Amino acid sequence: MTASLQIGRLLRSTTSDCVIGCRASELNVPVFGGMVRIPLADGTQIYGLIHNIQIEDDGLIRQLITSDNVSEDVLLDNRNNRNVPVEIGVIFVGYAQNGRISHLLPPRPPLSLDEIFTCMPPEVIAFTGSGRFGYLRHILRAEDLPQAELLAAHIQQAGQMHHAHGSPGWVEAVTRELVTLLRDDYDRLMSVLSAIGDVNLS
Amino acid sequence: MPVNYLQVQGQILDKCQQARQNQQVYRQRLEQALKLLERFAGELDTLRAVVENARMADSTLRCAVPLNEELNTARDAPVMGEMPLLLAADGSQVNPNRHDAVEFAVINTGLFRIQPGTAHTPREETQTQLYLLEDLHNPDAPLTEEVVALRRDLTERRLLAERAAAESARPLITLTDGPLELFREPRDNPQYDQLLRDYLNILQKTNRHGVVSAGYVDKPRSDLVVRLLELAGEQNSAAQETARRRPLAGVLDRVIFARLLGAGQRSAVFAIQSGMAERFADYDPALQPCFFYLNVSAGSSEPYLARVEIPLQTAQNSDLLDALHAALLQQCRQMGSKPYPYALHRAHEIALISRLEKEQIETMIARAMRAMGLEVEDKSFKQYHKENR
Repeated sequence: MTASLQIGRLLRSTTSDCVIGCRASELNVPVFGGMVRIPLADGTQIYGLIHNIQIEDDGLIRQLITSDNVSEDVLLDNRNNRNVPVEIGVIFVGYAQNGRISHLLPPRPPLSLDEIFTCMPPEVIAFTGSGRFGYLRHILRAEDLPQAELLAAHIQQAGQMHHAHGSPGWVEAVTRELVTLLRDDYDRLMSVLSAIGDVNLS
Repeated sequence: MPVNYLQVQGQILDKCQQARQNQQVYRQRLEQALKLLERFAGELDTLRAVVENARMADSTLRCAVPLNEELNTARDAPVMGEMPLLLAADGSQVNPNRHDAVEFAVINTGLFRIQPGTAHTPREETQTQLYLLEDLHNPDAPLTEEVVALRRDLTERRLLAERAAAESARPLITLTDGPLELFREPRDNPQYDQLLRDYLNILQKTNRHGVVSAGYVDKPRSDLVVRLLELAGEQNSAAQETARRRPLAGVLDRVIFARLLGAGQRSAVFAIQSGMAERFADYDPALQPCFFYLNVSAGSSEPYLARVEIPLQTAQNSDLLDALHAALLQQCRQMGSKPYPYALHRAHEIALISRLEKEQIETMIARAMRAMGLEVEDKSFKQYHKENR
């Protein structure tokens, strides 16, 4: 198993979500729907899902796009040197303390400049396989997020890991739980099921 | 109270009205300047003699002197197989302010190294120099805003020279924003003389390493060539009288060359005749400041002229001149619709000291002073109220 990768550091946070900054050159690792963890000083691990990746601009970037041909050296300069971070939005879905996983919100948010790591398959499997999908309610409560797409991306990634580790029924179980949670909201349920229908586990 | 826009509006209309009346005179002068340029285009010996005579009569004379290209020269951009390595530096400063809690000055110099057209990430570097306590209150060398600006110019060139010395690639171009000539005041004290000597020494070393020193002046307001044309057109008048009358006053060099230079073309190279240029040449004739105009606009867009200052040694080396010409155009092209050398913009961006950074430095100084038992004053009440709005 390869070690989890640091993808950036925390810019700002609340009890339910946070924004991470990373350099454009490091953007090949974090993916939409990907699960991340933020270790706190007391050993607590906060878990979250990436729901937004935003590429910031500034005056120079806006000027450079008027050039007929942006040369390779200028491209590398802007991606590696300039202080224009990529902002990654993360919604918290739970935490682990003393080895015990909880699908409640973390006791306190992480602090500025805390490191953020990608979750490795065993971590994703342990978190998503523990309890009864309680973490889904954090996503379903955040109405300003692209919920259906976020859930589909998460289910695709976590489903592949469960499938590879001998739990082929995980996708069906999480879908059934979503149907239960959204049974009183037909429109949202149809939107989520439609997105999940596009999930490809192969 | 806000600005009295009503009063401002009236003044704007008055000034515009006056400028419109002067337009006719200006157009006549511009046409006259263009005619003189064509008439004397190839008479380089005559023009040099005219300037020499005028210089003898007027020691404050400031104008262009032709080198060996005709006045109406328009040189196309050279085709370079490989772009030269470029080092650009720019400085930013915090001037001493007696209203602050702690009086200090900072010069922050940004250096940007780029090998255009390659897949190498450019390198950036900053050097920060703090002036504090005893540095500010030396009665023989007070650190005024002008001295800070002069030291900033010097630091830019010193950093470029140091980094250039470590590079083996040639041609190598070092670039700063603004002229190579120095205009800072006061010019009549030992501190200024010493800083000028240091500056010239650095330029000389850079020259001797075969490295190009260039100063890029964006939107230049100079009229050095126009002043030369005035002298040429009034050869029967005394030079001082011509300088006083200014028969072509208001016409700028860049307006003339905008008519002559196509996209990417450069003008002839001229030397500068001025008291400061003479000090450069006295120190080392190879440092005589020279310049050319460059139309950095692309394709069919409106001409946009920059003035580029170089030492005589570069002006006399066509390979180095071509390399500089090509490199500046390549850099300007990177900035699309608003051409300006990318490397210089980046050096400026790196060097810039934000208000937050200034406050951070002030806090660091105050903390250190208190820790050593030194007294730290409060900021002035005037400053307090300004910041408390």
